[in-house]
Amino acid sequence: MLIIDKDVCIGCGNCESACPFGAITIVDGCAVVGDGCTLCGTCVETCDPGALKIEGAEKSAPLDLASWSGVWVYCEFRRGALAPVSLELLGIGRRLADTRNVPLSAVLIGSETGETARQLIAHGADTVYRIDDPALAHFTDEAYGAIMTALIQQNKPEIVLAGATAIGRSFIPGVATTLGAGLTADCTQLAIREEDGALLQTRPAFGGNIMATIVCPNSRPQMSTVRPKVMQALTFDGERQGNIVEVKPMPEQLATRVRVIESVVSEEDNVNIQESDILVAGGRGLDSAKGFTLMRELAESLGGAIAATRAVVDAGWIGYPHQVGQTGKTVAPKLYIACGISGAVQHVAGMQSAETIVAINRDKDAPIFDVADFGLVGDLFEIVPKLLTQIEERRKS
Amino acid sequence: MKIIVCIKQVPDAKDVRLDPKTNTLAREGVQSIMNPYDQHAVEEAVRLKELLGGEVTVLSMGPPQAEEVLRQAISCGADHAVLVSDRAFAGADTWATSYTLAKAVNVIGAFDLLLCGKQAIDGDTAQVGPGLAMRLQIPYVTCVQKVRQATDSGLVLERMMDDGYDVLALDYPALLTMVKDINEPRVPSLKGKMRAKKLEIRKLTAADIGADPACIGLPGSPTQVVKVFPPEARCQRAVFTGSLDEQIGQLVDSLQPYL
Ligand SMILES: Cc1cc2nc3c(=O)[nH]c(=O)nc-3n(C[C@H](O)[C@H](O)[C@H](O)COP(=O)(O)OP(=O)(O)OC[C@H]3O[C@@H](n4cnc5c(N)ncnc54)[C@H](O)[C@@H]3O)c2cc1C
Ligand SMILES: Cc1cc2nc3c(=O)[nH]c(=O)nc-3n(C[C@H](O)[C@H](O)[C@H](O)COP(=O)(O)OP(=O)(O)OC[C@H]3O[C@@H](n4cnc5c(N)ncnc54)[C@H](O)[C@@H]3O)c2cc1C
Ligand code: SF4
Ligand code: SF4
Repeated sequence: MLIIDKDVCIGCGNCESACPFGAITIVDGCAVVGDGCTLCGTCVETCDPGALKIEGAEKSAPLDLASWSGVWVYCEFRRGALAPVSLELLGIGRRLADTRNVPLSAVLIGSETGETARQLIAHGADTVYRIDDPALAHFTDEAYGAIMTALIQQNKPEIVLAGATAIGRSFIPGVATTLGAGLTADCTQLAIREEDGALLQTRPAFGGNIMATIVCPNSRPQMSTVRPKVMQALTFDGERQGNIVEVKPMPEQLATRVRVIESVVSEEDNVNIQESDILVAGGRGLDSAKGFTLMRELAESLGGAIAATRAVVDAGWIGYPHQVGQTGKTVAPKLYIACGISGAVQHVAGMQSAETIVAINRDKDAPIFDVADFGLVGDLFEIVPKLLTQIEERRKS
Repeated sequence: MKIIVCIKQVPDAKDVRLDPKTNTLAREGVQSIMNPYDQHAVEEAVRLKELLGGEVTVLSMGPPQAEEVLRQAISCGADHAVLVSDRAFAGADTWATSYTLAKAVNVIGAFDLLLCGKQAIDGDTAQVGPGLAMRLQIPYVTCVQKVRQATDSGLVLERMMDDGYDVLALDYPALLTMVKDINEPRVPSLKGKMRAKKLEIRKLTAADIGADPACIGLPGSPTQVVKVFPPEARCQRAVFTGSLDEQIGQLVDSLQPYL
């Protein structure tokens, strides 16, 4: 609870203007906290007289934190291939491990993983725990979760990272709950706090409207799911040495109550837009489903994939796997070209971490221009064909 | 069929925006709504009830005003509503939230299905559903996009994946989290609205659910928010000049690294 010492409060209002959630107000010269308070602690620091205090934050240290050591990365393997985010996680995992001066381990769960474990070592892992079993060909929360939980309990790593993918965001929360560990969702920044070696986990919340930095002071391991395309993978180094530990799954770990009947790859929507470096995105300005033909031409020319707003997905012009935004996918490509997109907060939430954003819109006041690095005001049906021609010409010269 | 649906009251995302100058979320006119994904969960529960018979209980943890979303769910066809509300729950992270909801579910009693939204649009973690299932020791499936088959003993489902979907079968009891593709929520009927107005909402406190004070609210939360700040402002937009063709030329220049 946020405790306000009425005798100390001078009613200066610092806390009111500092609270990101609008939860504290000044009533009759004294601060009053409302139900919107998330106990984020922002106001406490701004109160010079020291009238504010968060109670209950200090827990009696429940476990021996020092006995947990090492950085772990869950490496996602599906349909015979490693998810690219796994290598990105090894990149950041290596940095964290070096800062902490501890080893970096990878956990590889799947079937017929072949040379993948070697690849993980070449990308930074010191140790790979390989659990390769035909029964693990299909992802299930129960089997993957049980195996991961047992490995963590046996080896006690201080940090566990996984990709914020459909799979990572599904089974990792179950693992964290069983372990009694804090889990930070969809992180975009990770760092080690100098004073105490704690993991600083930064993530967007409220549909990307705010960033929050989170720590897990009294629980281990510190767990995060990490957004794809944000961290840098290390370059492949075939000389790197590491060891592979084979782990046999227990029969009871493989017994699942959810049965996989089949696993379907959508043909049309085969590309995962989260993995694409270039995205050409279309909105209602395209006028009809036909407008996407033009988007496809541009995407093809640039070697990119197609993204879309919810408005056009709802209209049925293109499938949901292409939707970017708060209720769609979050993407962070190198280049995002937004055509006929107004730039509603819910859309921007899903694409604002793109490296370069280009906006094409006929309304010069469209909010999309606020987040764009380059903007062209005009009719997309005129601009995009011209853009295509000029790109072709540039390539020839 | 006994179905419990967990619903959360959230600020309407349309209105939420961080003011980069004051560093606070704009609060004027921010309305509270039912988490959009949870509306789909309520709808699916009511459809399953219509198909298989039974009853739907909606459950929310939150401040007293969260009653509003519970009443909204009643007006859309849910039968009973339970609000767990206590100052001691303040500051709960997803670990403490799933603990609290699990305790409340145990007080409500036996169930066949537990439904959640995929994620709440404020906290945005998508962690409460899986956490709740683990605590109740029941299997779970996240991101359900379609119920293909529903019988008295179990379900066949489609669960959305990054590269397509998986078709899964399971028996009750189980927990599912819903994406918006699953259905189109109905608008409340007049009769439903009348019922919602009158219905007595069952209120539970931390003591009523037998919660361990060390597991709820801030003390029960392994994660702690230490800092909140606005997202980095993007660099200023480059302004192109000249005719449209010249502007496009300048754009192509700027895009050279990507060509
Ligand atoms: C809870 C919630 C969740 C949501 N989640 C998402 C989400 O995940 N993703 C998402 O995208 N949206 C989401 N939305 C919807 C969002 O608020 C907007 O409605 C949506 O993004 C608008 O799509 P749009 O830009 O395609 O359409 P519009 O807002 O209609 O914009 C069309 C734009 O095209 C321009 N235009 C028209 N014709 C031309 C032309 N010929 N040439 C150039 N420009 C032209 C117009 O000037 C206009 O700016 C959500 C909304 C809510 C309430
Ligand atoms: C800025 C910020 C960042 C945060 N980041 C994290 C984090 O990284 N990790 C973490 O553990 N906590 C985090 N929290 C705390 C978290 O938001 C709360 O624990 C919240 O109560 C539940 O999480 P959620 O909103 O993400 O729900 P989700 O897990 O996204 O919700 C999924 C579903 O669970 C059900 N549900 C969720 N909450 C309730 C409820 N109160 N009553 C009934 N049903 C419910 C609904 O069906 C909902 O659709 C953060 C809080 C803030 C303010
Ligand atoms: S900052 Fe401190 S002194 Fe100023 S109004 Fe807030 S509680 Fe009172
Ligand atoms: S603790 Fe955070 S949410 Fe609560 S009043 Fe202070 S600044 Fe606002």
